[in-house]
This record gives sequence, structure tokens and C-alpha cells, in this order.
Amino acid sequence: MSTYFIIAWRNLWRNSRRTLITSASIFFGVFFAIFMSSLQRGSFENMVDNMVRFYSGYIQIQESDFNQHRSLNNSLQTYQTFQQEIENHPLITQSSQRIESFALAGSDENSFPAMLFGIQPEKEEAISGVSKWLSEGSFIKSGSKDLLIGKVLAKNLKIAVNDSIVLIGQGYHGVSSAGIYRISGILDFPLPDLSKQLIYMDLQNAQEFFSMPGLITSQVIMVEKPEQVAQVIRDLTPKLGAEMKIYAWDELQPELVSLIDGKTASGKVVKLLLFMVIGFGVWATIIMLMHERKRELGVMIAVGFQKTRIMIMIIIESAFIGLIGILIGIGISYPFIWYLFNNPIHVTGEMAETYKSMGFEPILKFGINPDIFLSPAFTILIIFAVLSIYEIWYVARLKTVTALKA
Amino acid sequence: MNVIEIKDLVKIYNSSEVQVKAVNGITVNFEEGEFTAVVGPSGSGKTTFLNMLGGLDRPTSGSVKIGGTNVWDLSSRKLIDFRMNNIGFVFQSYNLIPVLTAGENVEFIMHLQGRPKKEREERTKEMLEAMGIGDRIKSRPAKLSGGQQQRVAVARALASKPEFILADEPTANLDSHSTTELLELMSQMNKKYNTTFIFATHDQRVMDKARRIITIEDGKILSDEKFER
Repeated sequence: MSTYFIIAWRNLWRNSRRTLITSASIFFGVFFAIFMSSLQRGSFENMVDNMVRFYSGYIQIQESDFNQHRSLNNSLQTYQTFQQEIENHPLITQSSQRIESFALAGSDENSFPAMLFGIQPEKEEAISGVSKWLSEGSFIKSGSKDLLIGKVLAKNLKIAVNDSIVLIGQGYHGVSSAGIYRISGILDFPLPDLSKQLIYMDLQNAQEFFSMPGLITSQVIMVEKPEQVAQVIRDLTPKLGAEMKIYAWDELQPELVSLIDGKTASGKVVKLLLFMVIGFGVWATIIMLMHERKRELGVMIAVGFQKTRIMIMIIIESAFIGLIGILIGIGISYPFIWYLFNNPIHVTGEMAETYKSMGFEPILKFGINPDIFLSPAFTILIIFAVLSIYEIWYVARLKTVTALKA
Repeated sequence: MNVIEIKDLVKIYNSSEVQVKAVNGITVNFEEGEFTAVVGPSGSGKTTFLNMLGGLDRPTSGSVKIGGTNVWDLSSRKLIDFRMNNIGFVFQSYNLIPVLTAGENVEFIMHLQGRPKKEREERTKEMLEAMGIGDRIKSRPAKLSGGQQQRVAVARALASKPEFILADEPTANLDSHSTTELLELMSQMNKKYNTTFIFATHDQRVMDKARRIITIEDGKILSDEKFER
């Protein structure tokens, strides 16, 4: 076998320029595929991270009907023992309880519908960092009777920090809810839809307002890595009460999953086209290589080299070309991607505003998961496996006498 | 003792318009240790004859028996192995493997035969020294002259200890001096190892060395003469 490797390796350098150009095309293909995948993965992870932090959490526990019928009547009793399970789970990094409902917010001049979030301020801050949107006033604390309000809503109600608003709504099992609250701070959310309707209040305050002491609509759970979600769900499921249901983030945000799936599919099409171009380029090289050496192959067969051995030798030779491209591609892209993973690109100007308006950080993040590097390598190997069919076919139909005359 | 027995060998090429009988019923035997030149004008059928004799080109009819084996009854896989163990080839254009050194080229067939490394190395050295190019054992073909390359090709053909060597116009690309030297070396090898040499040639210098000359024309043997040399 070592003879095959020696001949194959030396054959590569008979026309070193061609080998280098072919390997370079593979290298660029691998490099760009890795770069694209890494950027796409990083963006998706960032998008998911933003959405789960701000909205759903990686995992959410709700009353079993709440996701279908978002009514306060489908609220959840919190059990101390279950809270203990959550706090003690090694993979859970944060958790917070919420009440999500609606109310009518009124000032001296106007009234507008509002989305009302009852939160545990310190815990919610640790998860979503809401305070970073605070443009005026101060953040609320546990036990506080004050509110945080979206900037557009505050503007519409013509109120400012320390002003009061009235909230009127429907509480647990149809109880009328009403209260007057002081504005502690104004939140300038980048997403206008949120800014014009969001109100945050302390959870206990919300429970009093909606007449639902000890009840919540959801418990948000965070893990360090998205891959840990399934494990945590597996661990918590047997401990859930009969009325509870546990959801992963992708079940709660199907639109985001569809968006990611769509973008992933279009990315795959681009990569497929890229690899097709490379594949045809490599094929052209292999066709040239085979034709140039037709006589040499004929001589080898004439003197006693079995065709199967020639096939093995040629496959090894083309595999070398592929491996050179793959190894250089991964070798160069890894440190490059590693640097970008640790030092994301900060987007500025209009692009940054666009990012902000969509509720995302203006930052280009990169992923560094092993499959980002292995997938293009595997694709190149498949291309070479397909091309080896041509090589096998070429050698199999080679007529010795014709080859010797070539 | 007959090494090769050829009976009623026919090769017909069918093109779209005409049928060409390149070899037209040749019957001939070759004995061990012969130094034979198959001669004839271009298109006479000598190369086709040699190709069929060497198991490279399948005859339309007739048989080629080498050491009692009808080579054209063998499967293509067994035929390749048969060639490797019984026939040495020397081609007009040397046809060495360009990425292997002279030594590696000579060793190549012995390697395929599965001979031990020590034996291969000793035989390679012996053959190259016998051909007068022992000092070029590590040179690649591109670094050798045409004459030197053809000597390596002869050494390669001899190294595997074949029953006979087929040489198709081996001197066609060589200058006069190289041709004389090569023929002298081949003649010495023929005598030393008693290996049968069969040449297809129109080179008078080869004919002058041959102890048997078979003349072919229009695919038939015109004459078959033996000489004492």
C-alpha cells in the first residue's frame, strides 16, 4: 500500500501548479463555507438568545392550557418544592416567574391598551437585562408599587417619570382590577410595537392587581447552552404537577424557528452552488490528469499492475488533493473564526439602527461549533467520492493497446 | 524447447467501411534463448502481432501458448498477472513511470510480484549495473538521456525474470551510439540469462544482431531465417 501512497503523492507534484490551484479552489470553498456557516450560526444563536432572554426563556413552564388560551384563568400555582428543584438543577442558570396579561392604561388626557408584565425585577434583570433600555428614571425593585413603561406609550399618555397612571383590567376569574401607580422609569425599546404597549410591574404588585395571589402565568428558565434544553426538560418533566406543561423555546416561538429554517435552507443552496462550482473544477482537473496519463496507465497495466490497483492509486491521489484543500481550509479558517467568535463585529451606522429596530443587538456574532468545520470537509469528501466513480469508470474501460498508443 | 507456440493467429480490425486483416494466419514457435527480430514495413502487422503475443491485444482467432498456457483463455485479471510473471516489455518511448527513480522503476514489477525487499534491492542493483547505469539508481527518468532511460526499461523488463522480452521498436528514439550500446547490452543479457528476446523493428542494426529474422508483410510471414552470430 505504501507504494500507492508514494506514487500518488509524487504524482501530485508532477504538476505542482495545477495541484496547488485545485487545492486552492477547495481551500476557498471550505473557507467560505465555514465563514458563511459560522456567521449564520452565530447570527441565529444571537437571535435566539435575544428572543429567549427578552421573551420566552429557553424553557417555560405554564398551566397546560395557557399557551392555547392566554387567560389569567389558566394560571399556575407556584410550589416551593418545585422551585427548589429548579434552583438546584445544575444546568439551570436563571429562572424567573411572570404574569402576562393586558390592561387599559389611562392618564389625565388619554387611555391606551397595554401589555402588562408582572416580573421579579432582580431575576428578570439577570435574564433579559431590561434596565439597559431605561432612558429615564430608575428600575423597579422587588416589592415596589411603581411601574416601568414603554417610551411611546408614555408619550401617548403624555406622562413622565413620577407621574401616575391608572390601570383598569380584568383579573383572575373575571374580577375587576383597577389601581393607580407611579411611573418609576421609562423604557426606550428599539422595537416600536413593544415601546407603545409594554408596562412592567413587580410580580407581587401584579398578583394583587389581578387578584391572583400566589399565581403566575409562566415560569421562565434559562440554561447556559441551547443544547442543554432537552436534558433539563427531561429532568423536570416527571416533577411537574398535573396542571403544568413544559415548553422548549422553539415550541413557544415557531415563527422564529421558521425564520431560521428558511435562512438555513437558503444558506444551504448558496453552499451547494459553491461546492458544485468547485466540484466541476476538480472534475476538470481529474479529466485532464487522467487523459495526460493515459499512456502511463496503459504501461502500468501492460507490465502487470491490476486495474483495481490503479483505481486505488488514483483515488488516493485525488483524495490527497482534497485533503490538502480541506486541511488548509480548516487550518486557516479555525483561528480566523476563533478570533471573530471572541471578538464579534460591532455593526455601526444605518445597519446598526436596523438591527436595533428589530430588537437585536447591532453585532455580528460567529459560531464555532465543530460541525461548522466538519460539514464542508465532509461535503468535499463526498464530491471526491462521486468523482472517484468517474476515475473508476475511466480505468475500467481503458484498453491497454489504445492507451499505449496515446 | 518451445517457449511460445503461436497457431493460426488472425487479427481483423473492423472499421465502419472496411475490414483490415492486420495479422492473417500466423503460425510460428519461439525457443528459449532466441534473439529474434520481427521485421517488415510499416503497417505490415508486426506490432499487432507482438501485442497479441504479449497478451495486450486479443486476436480475432488463433492461439498463443506460453509455457503451455493459452494466454487468451485467461480472464483479464489473470492475464495481467500472467504478463507480470512471464513477459517483459520494452517500448519505443521507454515508458518508465516518471515519478519513480530508475531503481524504483526496476523494482516496481518485482514489488508487484511480492518479492522480498532484500531480493528486490539486490536484483535492481545487479540489473542496473549490468546495463551500465548503476550510478543512476536514484535518478528520475527526466534526468536520464533517452539511451539511459531505455536501459532502465530493459533492466525493468529483465528484473522480474520473465520467460521472454518483447521489445517494440526499442531503438527508434535512440541515436546511433546509444542504439549500438543498448543492443550490445541486450545481446549480453540474452546470453547471460538465456532470456528470449523478440523485437519488432525496422532498424538494420537490430537485424544485424538478431540470430533469427521473421519478415512479415500484409499480416503474413514472408520469411523465417536463422543465423549463427
